[in-house]
Amino acid sequence: MRNIPQVLVIDDDAVVGHSFERVLTEKGYEVDMALSGEEGLKDMDTTDYDIVFTDIKMPGIDGIEVAERIKAKCPWTPVVVITGYGTEENEARASVLGVNGFVRKPLTPEMIESVTLKALSEHEEPQPAANEEVILAETEAVEFKGWRKALRIARNIALFFAAPFIALSYIIALPIVGFYTFAKLAVEAWQKKRAVS
Amino acid sequence: MSPPSAMEQNPGKAQDQKIYLHPLPVRIWHWVNAAGFLLLILTGFQLRYVDLFSLMSFETAVHLHNWIGFFVIANWFLWFFYYLTSDKITNYHPDLNAASFFERFFRQAQFYGQGIFMGQKRPHDVHPSNKFNPMQKLTYQFMMFITVPITFISGLMMWDVERFSALIELVGGIRVVNTVHVLMFIMFVMFMFVHAYMGMLGPKPSSHYKEMITGYEEPHDED
Repeated sequence: MRNIPQVLVIDDDAVVGHSFERVLTEKGYEVDMALSGEEGLKDMDTTDYDIVFTDIKMPGIDGIEVAERIKAKCPWTPVVVITGYGTEENEARASVLGVNGFVRKPLTPEMIESVTLKALSEHEEPQPAANEEVILAETEAVEFKGWRKALRIARNIALFFAAPFIALSYIIALPIVGFYTFAKLAVEAWQKKRAVS
Repeated sequence: MSPPSAMEQNPGKAQDQKIYLHPLPVRIWHWVNAAGFLLLILTGFQLRYVDLFSLMSFETAVHLHNWIGFFVIANWFLWFFYYLTSDKITNYHPDLNAASFFERFFRQAQFYGQGIFMGQKRPHDVHPSNKFNPMQKLTYQFMMFITVPITFISGLMMWDVERFSALIELVGGIRVVNTVHVLMFIMFVMFMFVHAYMGMLGPKPSSHYKEMITGYEEPHDED
């Protein structure tokens, strides 16, 4: 790793980028900001960042695609996804891509610092140092990318074809689950009323 | 030379932070499908209730119903192959965690039944690869993978009874096939009314309709 770790923050909300800059610059990091996925990926072409933070919901290329592209190109670069309310499913999808962490909005200085340290400390080892190692790592990355893409396509198609069967089972289960849910809510409301009186 | 416009500098920003939710093939499929099903319902009514309606002759209704049917089948394959080969396939992926699915399903139902009238934030965060809320997802999976193919197959069987006689016999005869086709037809009529109504539950009544024309999600107050 370089003496001054370089951090890239990709978020269409500039306030988020400035928060990272304020917190991490004080701690000795160099922070670059990108306001879109496209801009962030361009920055990745010119600079070898030590860690990348990306927002999940952005116009154009979203955070998941950004993480996917970065992981395909530089699998050793730690990517941390910035998420908001109600994004559990997106987080699940990002986890599949092998991102190195999540940080939920609203962000605090402590959160920014701790997630940066954690992601960096976990990924210091795989940094290639010599030219031969770089070539080897690049070849492995291309192979890894191909396999991962094939696996992802196979998984996507399998889930697509499984959809009607799972949907049907959910539809059959829906009245039972619905009855249970309403009964549970009714009991809870009754208990609450009883406790008050 | 004039400086580049905001659109040229950053097309994403110029779209007022909107999310591109509905790609062009999906929009074409959607509106062709909508027109096709409306015409199928119309000609289907004419076929079934000859005495009540006289929009066209019975023979014309039969021919139109058949041709539109084939067109809608071809259009379904456009939908099928588009999703099968694009990264948007995840929109139709099932939720494998049943407990989480039902929890979000009822939260969404609570939003439609109560929260929406109280100005609550919509519980589902839309994303191009996950644009359907759990209620929409289950409905569309059921419609596109089960109801639509059953309608097509039963329709094809009635289109050429002789050719499909063995299959018709296998499922219990032409009356069974006809009943199934009519049940699907009733389901489609119900779906279209509900779908058109739900389409008005955006930030503005016209928002979701505009989205299906432009492809971009209309901004929500909470976004």
